[in-house]
Amino acid sequence: MSSKESCRIVERKKESCRSELRIAIRQLNDRCLYSASKWAAEQLTGIEQDPAKFTPSNTRFQRGSSSIQRRYRTNEITATPVAGVSYVTTPVMVEDDLVDGDFYLLAKSYFDCREYKRAAHVLRDQSGRKSLFLRFYALYLAGEKRKEEEMIELEGPLGKSDAINRELVPLERELSTLRKNGTIDPFGLYLYGLVLKQNGSESLARTVLEESVNNYPWNWNVWSELQSLCTTIDILNSLNLNNHWMKDFFLASAYQELRMHNEALAKYQYLQGTFCYSNYIQAQVAKVQYSLREFDQVEATFEELLRNDPYRVDDMDMYSNVLYAKESASALSHLAHRVFMTDKYRPESCCIIGNYYSLKGMHEKSVVYFRRALKLNKNYLSAWTLMGHEFVEMKNTPAAVDAYRRAVDIDPCDYRAWYGLGQAYEMMGMPFYALHYFRKSVFLQPNDSRLWIAMGQCYETEQLRMLDEAIKCYRRAADCNDGEAIALHQLAKLHSEVGRADEAAFYYKKDLERMEDEEREGPNVVEALIYLATYCRAQERYEEAEVYCTRLLDYTGPERETAKSLLRGMGMGSSQSGPPGMDIEQFPP
Amino acid sequence: MVGIFIQPGAFAITPHKVSVCILLKIYAPPGLRAVPYPFISIAQHNRLGLFLLALTKSCDDIVEPKLDEFIHQFRVAGGFSSHWYINHLTSSLSSLLSPDDLFNFFAEMRGILAGPDSGVVEDDQLMLDLNSNLGIFLRRCVLAFNLLSFEGVCHLLTNIEIYRKEAPSSCPPYEQPCLDDSSSNLETCSEYENMDLENFVYEKVSEEIEARKEASEKVPFHLHAPKTLLDLVDDIDVPADLVSKHSEKGRQAGSYGDPTNNMLPDTDPSSGTFLRTNWQVQGYLQEQADTIEKDGSSVSLNGFEIILQQLQKMAPELHRVHFLRYLNSQSHDDYIAALENLHCYFDYSAGTEGFDFVPPVSSNSYGKYEIALLCLGMMQFHFGHPKLALEVLTEAVRVSQQQSNDTCLAYTLAAISNLLFENGISSTSKMLGLSYSPLTSVGITLSVQQQLFVLLRGSLKRAESLKLKRLVASNHLAMAKFDLTHVQRPLLSFGPKAFMKLRTCPVDVCKEIRLSYHLISDFGSEGSAMTVDGAFSTAWLKNLQKPMGSLVLSLESGSSNSSNVFQFCAQPTSIPGSVLQLLGSSYLLRATAWELYGSAPLSRMNALVHATCFADASSSSDAALAYVKLIQHLAVFKGYRGAFSALKIAEEKFLSVSKSQILLCKLQLLHDCALHRGQLKLAQQVCDELRVLASPVTGVDMQLKTEAGLRHARTLLAASQFREAASVAHSLFCMCYGYNLQVENASVLLLLAEIHKKSGNAVVGLPYALASLSFCQSFNLDLLKASATLTLAELWLSLGSSHATRALNLIHGAFPMILGHGGLELCSRAYIIEAKCYLSDPNFNVSENYEVVIDSLRQASDELQLLEYHEMAAEAFYLMAMVYDKLGQLEKREEAAASFKKHILALNNPQDKDD
Repeated sequence: MSSKESCRIVERKKESCRSELRIAIRQLNDRCLYSASKWAAEQLTGIEQDPAKFTPSNTRFQRGSSSIQRRYRTNEITATPVAGVSYVTTPVMVEDDLVDGDFYLLAKSYFDCREYKRAAHVLRDQSGRKSLFLRFYALYLAGEKRKEEEMIELEGPLGKSDAINRELVPLERELSTLRKNGTIDPFGLYLYGLVLKQNGSESLARTVLEESVNNYPWNWNVWSELQSLCTTIDILNSLNLNNHWMKDFFLASAYQELRMHNEALAKYQYLQGTFCYSNYIQAQVAKVQYSLREFDQVEATFEELLRNDPYRVDDMDMYSNVLYAKESASALSHLAHRVFMTDKYRPESCCIIGNYYSLKGMHEKSVVYFRRALKLNKNYLSAWTLMGHEFVEMKNTPAAVDAYRRAVDIDPCDYRAWYGLGQAYEMMGMPFYALHYFRKSVFLQPNDSRLWIAMGQCYETEQLRMLDEAIKCYRRAADCNDGEAIALHQLAKLHSEVGRADEAAFYYKKDLERMEDEEREGPNVVEALIYLATYCRAQERYEEAEVYCTRLLDYTGPERETAKSLLRGMGMGSSQSGPPGMDIEQFPP
Repeated sequence: MVGIFIQPGAFAITPHKVSVCILLKIYAPPGLRAVPYPFISIAQHNRLGLFLLALTKSCDDIVEPKLDEFIHQFRVAGGFSSHWYINHLTSSLSSLLSPDDLFNFFAEMRGILAGPDSGVVEDDQLMLDLNSNLGIFLRRCVLAFNLLSFEGVCHLLTNIEIYRKEAPSSCPPYEQPCLDDSSSNLETCSEYENMDLENFVYEKVSEEIEARKEASEKVPFHLHAPKTLLDLVDDIDVPADLVSKHSEKGRQAGSYGDPTNNMLPDTDPSSGTFLRTNWQVQGYLQEQADTIEKDGSSVSLNGFEIILQQLQKMAPELHRVHFLRYLNSQSHDDYIAALENLHCYFDYSAGTEGFDFVPPVSSNSYGKYEIALLCLGMMQFHFGHPKLALEVLTEAVRVSQQQSNDTCLAYTLAAISNLLFENGISSTSKMLGLSYSPLTSVGITLSVQQQLFVLLRGSLKRAESLKLKRLVASNHLAMAKFDLTHVQRPLLSFGPKAFMKLRTCPVDVCKEIRLSYHLISDFGSEGSAMTVDGAFSTAWLKNLQKPMGSLVLSLESGSSNSSNVFQFCAQPTSIPGSVLQLLGSSYLLRATAWELYGSAPLSRMNALVHATCFADASSSSDAALAYVKLIQHLAVFKGYRGAFSALKIAEEKFLSVSKSQILLCKLQLLHDCALHRGQLKLAQQVCDELRVLASPVTGVDMQLKTEAGLRHARTLLAASQFREAASVAHSLFCMCYGYNLQVENASVLLLLAEIHKKSGNAVVGLPYALASLSFCQSFNLDLLKASATLTLAELWLSLGSSHATRALNLIHGAFPMILGHGGLELCSRAYIIEAKCYLSDPNFNVSENYEVVIDSLRQASDELQLLEYHEMAAEAFYLMAMVYDKLGQLEKREEAAASFKKHILALNNPQDKDD
């Protein structure tokens, strides 16, 4: 296949995506599925335009996009399209405009003014597919709106807030009969799945949603509902989905939720082949990289995103986390200011402000903002965890434990909250109790050296002194590329404490090499040198010992004396070792 | 939100409460007559008052009844035959149509309350006292209504409408979020088809819930987990007798209640399900916790879990639910769920919810996480992880010391000592020691026993100074148990040696048991303060279901059920169940102690006292233990037939107790029986089964392991595999020695002597018998000592006829003990050996004194036939035949020989006659 030809195929594929999306956006808009149409439109502009056809003004959004992307793309594997994947072409749905009349137009206007019940009432006798869907959807949203209100009204003394959408039951009844008759369209199926999911019949909901996406793949809302129902990889694999390019988006996001970061990253990179300017994909990639703790890349991506889309609030809380981790207070304050001006009543905004105050060490204020974020969204996971961290800083451990526990109850896979719980209990002097939580967090995130180190330290506390277990933990930490090199040093120290000199020497040596590579100095180097010198002397490897001793002589303080006495003890005191020793004797620093 | 504990006692107005208010208005209309209109008599009027009181107080469920259930309850309450009340109720409810109606209704309600100057009111006038229970209830309702916002009033109105409209037939729930809504794949077929199944499940569940027994006391909340803490009494099995009479506890419980009454309402909030008041829900949880503690298996895992899930949904801030879930999963041996729920509970509550002992310390915002450690430790112990448990409890000791929580410390120490009791831990010096025990700081290493003693002392002292009466009592019991099986040595081994008598001290044991019994007088005097009127009301509501003769309380139904009425009448002065349980344990310990010391009648008597007086209050395992003791007594003194029939009764009674003493007892009986009948294969099989019951973890279930080892050796001995038997017994001795099981050592040594005797090495056997004797002496094991003396006599005898007099003297010395307290086997053995001694004594003239010998032998053979102990019976008959032969009484000789032949044949062709 010539490159030109393949180029043409890619171009043709892009063009078909484009036209599919254009139709879909219109159809989604007709049904007032605004967020889905927003998503589709974002992807539409995310496709690289054919420079031949468009004037530069059309590519305004895409210009200058990616110095950073280019910078980072060099070391990535170029994502090649999987060979042999033939996409199913789903026939575009034909609209029946004739049936929907003026009532539909009126209802849609009401709907757009958020008068849902009114809209539903107008459509009560209409039979067109669009009208039918809009009536259901309006009813559903009316119920949701009422539910939100009731949630605050009904908040009981014991935290009971079980307000429910009262439209769900009648909706389910109607939709299930429609489905049995076979007169339901993919949008109806979407709504049916939504209702089923809220009523708790998850597997039926999955089937229905599956049916919906197989018939009409361009509704991102359906995919994301489906994704929220795929809690394990087995469920995901059991789905029977048609091959459509939308499926790749779905899989990527599902992998991401299931913490299969590398798979997710690969998928997104593949998608970027077509949708190379998609903000959505860019943000998702950043999310994955954040989980992989590649903060520099994430920061660059977000800077880029904000340049193209300055009023974006979505995912900005993660950006703030990155800035927090990098301790760049001014950038964080800038971001906080920006989102605050855009939309202050978004949980993300509050979270960013909270992060800012936390970085400034003003923990009370930061708690206020996290609380506000939680008021806006009670299930906002990271706010609970972050608030827990604040309480830990404020030494209010019971409150911290409570906050972390709520995070864990929302998402039992949140390893940060488990870690926080462990930390809180360790602070209270209950290391053995804390181990339970550390074990949980390590189980969820086995490749994070910090967790292993925390657990090792827990075993090492003077109350427990379970050194063998601690050594195992540190070994795991050292295996997963411990950034701060705590593990190696601890391993060496513990081994020497337990009396395994060989292992201790091995790890001291490794640690020393590492410190040399990173050009670090400090007490650890001295400690390693002293141990190695003594060890080598005990092993009668005098030459090696001498090397270490001579290095020690570069330091001031007691260790120099130790080195000297070691050298003397080996029978090669200052007289034999030549000039450096003599220097020391004659010119004390 | 976070860190803020929502104050309990919040009171929300619900449709159900509105109906109660309507009834209240009927009860006390703002009129002037003594007996208002619809009532026929004062008694009927009072009855309604009682009904209302019970409604506001009872804690038998978590949700308020729906209208139809309520009406049903009301009807059953009896005496209100006319439909007037119900019509009035429904019409009043349906007249509440607008917010204004509600306002007026509550304004009227205020009218039936007496003013603060109630002295002015005439005698005849019916007014609710402001401070009476009903008056307070009404005031709270009015207050709650007044506090409602307009939205709240609207919601109340909607709810009343739903409440009213609900069809009496309680239509099946439209869709039920089922047991495990996330993972169930069943629902794919169709949610409609599942409905019958679900209803079925609920019915079953509600039946199970009904079957529970109401416990009636208030107990410190956290003490429910540590079942292990309270049952410090373990047994060392020696025979007892059984009374087949037993209380009908649990059998009659299913009679009350109509199915709809306890049927779980669906969780769909739109159908108007409301939680009862906080007080009632807590009471309900308390009762459930009591039930689980008493007999975990009587509560169904899933049934209760559903209720708890529902409760959690309706009251997410009521964290105690997690604790109940923990208890529930623990009692059903679900380790992971128990662990999760325990952690969850303490994360949320910080241990500050419900630990009733400690007055809330206002300044301490720290939380009481040491209690979490205590509970976790006891949970690990329960699941058989003694090492982990010890680790956790050590941490608990440290943290409670840091937080200076002496109460928790006392409990923790008690828990640790209990742990050390139950599990053979050969060295604790590494784990424990460092943090507690004042002596280790001096650098003295203590043996496990000494550490245990120090711990017990420490815990007792602390408990006494903190006035934790239950703990004091259970510590005394633990002390008694310690004294029973341990010889006390001075703690410090240097300095002038004090006089040491290396014996256990029965007086100490008695003293400790008596001290623990003082608990009852403490509670007897303050009993009224401890009652929970909620349980009282619950019992009343349930008794309503029974046919009523008079309008007074249902006392006359006492003939049908004992326990409920006992509970009911005795309530106001009764003693909390946990105290009763402890007292019961003290009786069991007495029984065990007497068993060891060798007094069968006293042991039987104490077991009987427990079985008759404490059966209702004690936990099911304690009750089972008492039965086991009685059954064993029966087997030893009356033969197997009676024992097996008694066992059948006990098995029915303790059906649910899975890995129980009952099973153990059954295996023991079967083994003994098989050995006696000579069914060696069966015996080996039973022995293996017994061994499987013990946990494979070293140091756990030591009693059981020793038991299995002993029985194994005995089986081998019966099969004449002397070498194998000796080696098993020897390794058993090593194990017992390693874990300091001294009492068991005595019997192992005796067994070794027995083995050597049978294998013909009398000389080797002698030292073992002597060692066993000295063990028996130092632990005051009189009966075992008598048995060892017998063996010693046999050994002497087998050394030659010149030792016959010596043997005879030994036997005669032991006879009082054997005849007074020994079982059938022991007595007949003594008789036979005595006869043998006489016969082998060269100075003994058979023809002159044959009566002595024949009498003994006849006695022995009778008893052995009862036991179906063929081998020894054959021996007795053989001896008899010999004597008759010498006397020349041929007819009698033939008779004895025939019996001998019969037994020998039976021994050689063992067949299963019956199970």
